[in-house]
Amino acid sequence: MKVALSVFKDSISTVFDVAQQIMVLEVDETDEPKRTMLKLETNDPMRRASELSETGIDVLICGAISRSMQAAIMARGIVVYPFVRGMTEDVIVAYQNGRLGHASYALPGCRGREQGRGRGRNRGMHCRRR
Amino acid sequence: MVSKKNSKQKGAFAGDEQNIILDSIADGVFTVDKDWRISSFNRAAEEITGVSRKDAVGQLCKDVLKADICERNCCLRATMRTGKPIVNKNVYIIDAEGRKRPISISTALLRDKKGKLLGAVETFRDISVEEDLRKAIEKKYSFADIISKNHRILQLFDILPDIAASNSTVLIEGESGTGKELFARAIHDLSPRKKQLFVAVNCSALPDTLLESELFGYKAGAFTDARKDKPGRFRLAENGTLFLDEIGEIAPSMQVKLLRVLQEKTYEPLGATQSVEHNVRIIAATNKDLDVLVREGSFREDLYYRINVFKIILPPLRERMEDIPLLIDHFIERFNVLQKKSIQGVSEEAMSVLMSYSYPGNIRELANIIERAFILCKTDLIEKKHLPESLFAMSANHKDSEVSSLRDVEAAYLLNALKQNNWDRQKTARQLGIHKSTLYRKIKSLDIVIP
Repeated sequence: MKVALSVFKDSISTVFDVAQQIMVLEVDETDEPKRTMLKLETNDPMRRASELSETGIDVLICGAISRSMQAAIMARGIVVYPFVRGMTEDVIVAYQNGRLGHASYALPGCRGREQGRGRGRNRGMHCRRR
Repeated sequence: MVSKKNSKQKGAFAGDEQNIILDSIADGVFTVDKDWRISSFNRAAEEITGVSRKDAVGQLCKDVLKADICERNCCLRATMRTGKPIVNKNVYIIDAEGRKRPISISTALLRDKKGKLLGAVETFRDISVEEDLRKAIEKKYSFADIISKNHRILQLFDILPDIAASNSTVLIEGESGTGKELFARAIHDLSPRKKQLFVAVNCSALPDTLLESELFGYKAGAFTDARKDKPGRFRLAENGTLFLDEIGEIAPSMQVKLLRVLQEKTYEPLGATQSVEHNVRIIAATNKDLDVLVREGSFREDLYYRINVFKIILPPLRERMEDIPLLIDHFIERFNVLQKKSIQGVSEEAMSVLMSYSYPGNIRELANIIERAFILCKTDLIEKKHLPESLFAMSANHKDSEVSSLRDVEAAYLLNALKQNNWDRQKTARQLGIHKSTLYRKIKSLDIVIP
């Protein structure tokens, strides 16, 4: 499974719509995830969704993301964890431990935004309060 | 700033006074300390960003504002570095609900009475209205302006980049008001031709002879009033996209000419002796079923196959009822800004009526209904009495005339979807774009009996 984190320096990039690179983790049940950095070519929602899909991304963890961008990505069947903040390494550990929903990883005012799932599953586009 | 001489109580009062003043300003205002942490955040800032003061104070400003410039072109950082204020820079933010809001920001340094640097202040203004008007004037709506969670529209989002990347002719079929031009523009904006012009022509608005000169242009002397050359729409759209709306309306003689233009990639301006080569991508649209027109003999089969390389069918609004609340929210937000009102939403009863109407005029009609309600509504909630009577007539004629609440409408809608999918709950959930367990929960709560 491939998990993408939109990163800026050593943190999650604040706004995914203009983020320029992603860290791709190839998660395997046995080995340490293989990491690669990938430059995003475009800011256009459809093309960006296309880029992620062509890279084989299954999950995207990112900062603030516009509705149109999220819809375009989810239409490709990619699970989106939006409005996440924090140091990249901490976020990876939180994701692996299933603790990404913790308040400390949510951007201010965005706590409780559940991940939006890809096509065929719960799309979760709304800011739902737990 | 409060001087040391002032008592603690007086200082606190001055702070309160400052907050009252800041809260009375329509523009968003926040201040940051030298570590970029927010030290004050006014009411308008809460409204624009969707982040409460409680959540904002003490946080890094980039995490609260979430602007496109925060990481690479931060205005506050520039002001802190140069000491110079920045005035009215247009950027956009993503608010807490995922809405992209255009704002205009200004920054300045914050110093105490002795001139010691305390941090910086940023003021910002929501310019959604200006941006919306600009888009309306320039007709620059894009994919991001398409509002939907309907599975058929989302499937279109999925294939739109591939359609855009190709050079093929596209045919968009859909009833009036379903957003054919919006999709055509989205395809153009996603295509390699996006830097060139998108030219739209409504084929039904012009008689045959005029349409020909409009499309292909004319040479001086081609007819009595043709004193100088006039380029046609094909020329204007060179290297770009030509959108031919209502293509089903063009006369047979014009169909032949258009077919030749598409086949040979050349056209002849009126009065010209030589053909002109063109590199124009054609996107055609119609509110008719061209298949039927071909069978009836009123539309040429060869032209139909020439334009029908890729067909997009836009569902009418009555087949994407799940989008109605989203669209209502969108229009309320737009008219609130345009008409300087603060309507919060629609009452449950009104929503029930709006959900049971069939919208022959589609999204355009829904927008008109909301606009009309805005004129009549003097409170903060659109109610049944603010809706046009035609909606009630339609509801009364509707077979399920007993529908009286949003719950009933939802139940009727789910029941219909289940029937369409032969009671297959997995397929129904997929069609509705909701999780299977959500569907089960709704079936149970709405007392729907599955055979």
